[in-house]
Amino acid sequence: MSDVRLGALLERARDGDRDSLQELVRELNPVLWRVARGQGLTAEDAADVVQTSWLELLRRLHEIRTPRAVTAWLITATRREAWHRRHRGRRDVPDGTLALDGVADPGPPPDQRLLTDERDRVLWTHFSRLSQRCRDLLGIVAQVSRPDYSAIAEAFGMPHGSIGPTRGRCLAKLREMLLADPTWGA
Amino acid sequence: MDPLDAEILDRIARFDPPPADLDDRVLFAVELGSPAAEVAHRAEETLVGSGARAAGERTRTITFDADSRSVMITVVDRPDNLVRIDGWLAPGAALRVELRRPEPAPARTVTADDTGRFVFDEVPHGLAQLLVHGDNGNARVVTPSLVL
Repeated sequence: MSDVRLGALLERARDGDRDSLQELVRELNPVLWRVARGQGLTAEDAADVVQTSWLELLRRLHEIRTPRAVTAWLITATRREAWHRRHRGRRDVPDGTLALDGVADPGPPPDQRLLTDERDRVLWTHFSRLSQRCRDLLGIVAQVSRPDYSAIAEAFGMPHGSIGPTRGRCLAKLREMLLADPTWGA
Repeated sequence: MDPLDAEILDRIARFDPPPADLDDRVLFAVELGSPAAEVAHRAEETLVGSGARAAGERTRTITFDADSRSVMITVVDRPDNLVRIDGWLAPGAALRVELRRPEPAPARTVTADDTGRFVFDEVPHGLAQLLVHGDNGNARVVTPSLVL
């Protein structure tokens, strides 16, 4: 969805239109989820951070002068909150059963058990060998059909012009690894 | 983008998808009547109790921090499948505290004592959100929604 259209949804949400707000949430949550998980948060913390970003957005709705920048605003808020969350940490106590709960996942994917599809498993193996930047970028790009490069660039502190080429390089590298792997198949 | 690129991105998009209830949790949390003065950020969560103790004695303590004050709650499972929430505002003040649950459940409001303590008992499991009303009745602190 284009930034112009997202901006229009934000303006209608600002005028109190609940449907527009819902559409905005459904559209942007997958990206924000990816951003929070990319910062190494557990699933529970990531869900919490995404919510907090939306609450902050609502609180500052009337201060936002450029509605089409809503994606960048939310990505930035999510990254910042995720960073704080990781550094505040979590303490789980005594009986030990939940001690691992607070350990951040190393990367996005989750759970090998969920990857029942052979090609998914192969892809995951190679995907996890990419750099953090490549994983973050591809993870976000994969969630949006028409990625808003300016929003991603702004939020990640990368030059706008470098997003497309970086995405291209990351994807090319992944393709190369997959095509060289006989278990990926044709 | 050729079919292989499309397939790769399509598969990547399915790795680690957001939890099924994420949209609902966000929509519930933001459907406040009016925006909050402050958003309290979840600072810490502690879990105590497990199989070693009798079932129904699990206790979670969660701290939410906002600029003006912190809200700490302890959620205790009751034997009847409901929970009790013991809360504490710091700095302590006799403010009104509201527990929101998804409609049609009515919101419940209690007033903290002078030291900031408050209790909600016999609360069903599920989504909930806490609001702390300010002295003047409208400035408020809200927490993200939590699953009790």
